Amino acid sequence: MNSVVIGVGNEFRRDDGVGPAVAREVARRGVPAEISDGDTVRLMETWEDASLVILVDAVRCSPGVDGRWHRTTLPVHGPVASSHGFGIPEAVELAEALGRLPGDLVIFAVEVTDVGFGLGLSPAVAAAVPDVVNAVLAEIRQTS
Amino acid sequence: MTHRANRILQVAGLARVEGEGSLHVRTKGDQVESVELAIYEPPRFFEAFLRGRDFREPPDITARVCGICPVAYQLSACRAIEDACGADVGHRLRALRRLLYCGEWISSHTLHIYLLHAPDFLGFPDGIAMAAAHRETVERGLALKKAGNLIMETIGGRAIHPVNVRVGGFYRVPEFPELRALADTLRHALDDALETVRWVSGFDFPDLDVPHDLLALRDTDGYPLDRGEPVVSTGLRFPSSEFGEHVAEHQVPHSTALHARLDGRMFLTGPLARYTLNSDRLSPLAVSVAADAGLETSCRNPFRSIVVRAVEVVYAVEEALRIIETYERPDRPFVEVSPRAAVGHGITEAPRGLLYHRYEIDAGGRILSADIVPPTAQNQPAIEHDVARLVGRHAALDDHALVSLCERAIRNYDPCISCSAHFLDLTREHR
Repeated sequence: MNSVVIGVGNEFRRDDGVGPAVAREVARRGVPAEISDGDTVRLMETWEDASLVILVDAVRCSPGVDGRWHRTTLPVHGPVASSHGFGIPEAVELAEALGRLPGDLVIFAVEVTDVGFGLGLSPAVAAAVPDVVNAVLAEIRQTS
Repeated sequence: MTHRANRILQVAGLARVEGEGSLHVRTKGDQVESVELAIYEPPRFFEAFLRGRDFREPPDITARVCGICPVAYQLSACRAIEDACGADVGHRLRALRRLLYCGEWISSHTLHIYLLHAPDFLGFPDGIAMAAAHRETVERGLALKKAGNLIMETIGGRAIHPVNVRVGGFYRVPEFPELRALADTLRHALDDALETVRWVSGFDFPDLDVPHDLLALRDTDGYPLDRGEPVVSTGLRFPSSEFGEHVAEHQVPHSTALHARLDGRMFLTGPLARYTLNSDRLSPLAVSVAADAGLETSCRNPFRSIVVRAVEVVYAVEEALRIIETYERPDRPFVEVSPRAAVGHGITEAPRGLLYHRYEIDAGGRILSADIVPPTAQNQPAIEHDVARLVGRHAALDDHALVSLCERAIRNYDPCISCSAHFLDLTREHR
């Protein structure tokens, strides 16, 4: 099973860095992981040869709870909190139009509020990182 | 002729990695009262972030300003720091930098041509709808973009925020076999690039000739990418160190981004400026495809910028092949750069236009101040001017058509807030 974990986000936009933080931790455990700014085409290129793609991204919900996370197999529509717009749904739609969707696409969305300029995650979002990492690793084990 | 009491066009700009913006157009009757393009500009934040950091850090930190043109940020930063330190990387390392930059031009221009700009000419709401109807064409675009990415991966370590760039050169320089493999891909990419020019040259271009002064780099030889001296369409030339004396940024009330003026006048940087001031420096093949595509030696129609970008992609692929063919592996991947108390300036041609960096460092290599002037900030007043002219000229259009025209006028410039989705919401108020 050829899997790739993609942490989407911008680490210079505080909690928008949650995706990259998860990707880093997953990579530290020896699992293929990438960091992406969410650009539609690049996302598609990153998952080109993967049969299982796991995306981790920040979402803004109303009302939201910082650090609460969700697993979904469909793109999260609606306002995305990150500073890179709506890359994931677009990437999925474009891949679909071109017949390039991966076999399995799973999205972990972490609720965030603060996407202002600066480094570092807020305590509630940082606390969610280990749980999301474990969920991502379990997903890979389950599918392989 | 429409007689509207008042129209307000609002652009709710989708955020991209490097910018967030909105457009506000207000008309009264058939008169355009105001056009305000507002861009929230991360470089302001990065300038503050850089103060107190080590002089070797700007290439990696500023690359994060923009996920679409990180090489531009890295190389403008390197040039500025090396200028401050009095370092010269020599022609072999310079050739590799130019090769890396060719990769970014191919990748960035192709993305804009195929997914952001072409849908405007073919009547699709976005690149995704166009992909469904023109799958083979979009596949060609993605293959061409991938060739650009491959250059960035081979030279820069990876396509997004290359990790192999450093002050003084690179951490590692490629072996001959790596470049030979790259050349194979690029030979196919050249066919795709030529096909791209043929494809876009058949589009229907609205008439619009912009009167703005044009600013681009001009090098001692070749088309400007990684270096050169600023030249203006008025005939003015000045060294990079005088950029700040000619290009002044000022605050405008409607935007947190600064607006730039060149000696007090509105100006334009980017493909139209580069091409108009340097078309004589293109390769014979690029000159010939430009002529076949209906371009003269200068181009002042922003709608035709898609053709200019396609010609620049042909040049970049050819230039990459030329650099690979004449590659001499540097003895060392980088030259030593020692800090000294000084100010340095670095300007390169990002795909969207001229990108200026200035750093002041102390004798220990600590950054005392940083100044970054990105192309979109320079083009903002000109973009607003174009939108105002179009809205004034096409006041009879219904709201939907006028909104589309405004969007197109903005997308012509491939600003950092470009978005393949429609990004204008229109509301109308009647007083």
